[in-house]
Amino acid sequence: MSGTLRQMLTCHWSARRIQRYLDSDPAAPLAPGEVARLEGHLATCEKCTEVLAEHRTLRGAFALWSRRSPVDPDSVDRVRHFLDNLTETEGPRP
Amino acid sequence: MNAFPDTDEAARRRTFREFVEPEIEVMLRVANGLVSNSADAEDLVQESLVRAYKGLHRFDGRHPRAWLLTIMRNTNVNLHRRQRPIMIEDDELLRASRPAFGSSRLPSAEDSFLDEELDAELHEAVTALDPKFRGVLVLVDVHDLSYAEAAAVLDIPVGTVMSRLSRARDRVRRRLGPTYLNRGRTS
Repeated sequence: MSGTLRQMLTCHWSARRIQRYLDSDPAAPLAPGEVARLEGHLATCEKCTEVLAEHRTLRGAFALWSRRSPVDPDSVDRVRHFLDNLTETEGPRP
Repeated sequence: MNAFPDTDEAARRRTFREFVEPEIEVMLRVANGLVSNSADAEDLVQESLVRAYKGLHRFDGRHPRAWLLTIMRNTNVNLHRRQRPIMIEDDELLRASRPAFGSSRLPSAEDSFLDEELDAELHEAVTALDPKFRGVLVLVDVHDLSYAEAAAVLDIPVGTVMSRLSRARDRVRRRLGPTYLNRGRTS
């Protein structure tokens, strides 16, 4: 297999895992071997490193959206008070 | 399996509270996307808590957030509220998320880029997504739900969450383009 073809296949393989790598979601973790292979590829592939960086920029932008639209603290207080009543008074037995 | 076998009533109430209290904010956040105003969102959360409490004997103690969000989704359906694709169908979340005029926060250089330059483009790119892709993206990337939690809210398999999320992010990334996304990088 030529080096170029091998590189293309590894880029394709990596592209399918970059988001899971960043998310680290417990429902779809990468195996340790996959992490090592991906990180090894990212260390040498400029194109895939750029893709990773772009996803990181997007994550930062979305995180800002979340921080800029906090839940109304009065709403939280009212629901907490409701929870107090639900759990401190005689309510329906679960 | 019941998470609360043979415990007394006071212990059940305490345990229920310990499960629920940390999830109030995320429940309100998601509820705001399911209904049309914040008062309805509060009602939905409160009704969901009552149903959760009544159904506590069926809860196995694992993944309380997913359990509560599933109950909230079903409660919303049962209350015959107007069903909307999750979030930003009417751009409400996007508008609400953009910085208010006169905001006093002092942003970092990278935040400034994200706020001032990327934000409008990102808003357009997300708005252009098909609602089913947009919903997953907002739940996971804006509200920080896990794949399983988003799956519970949307009543779809985790694999579907993953594929929609991947496609949504790739579409947004491609629409914005590398030149744009790399401009704000600080490292």
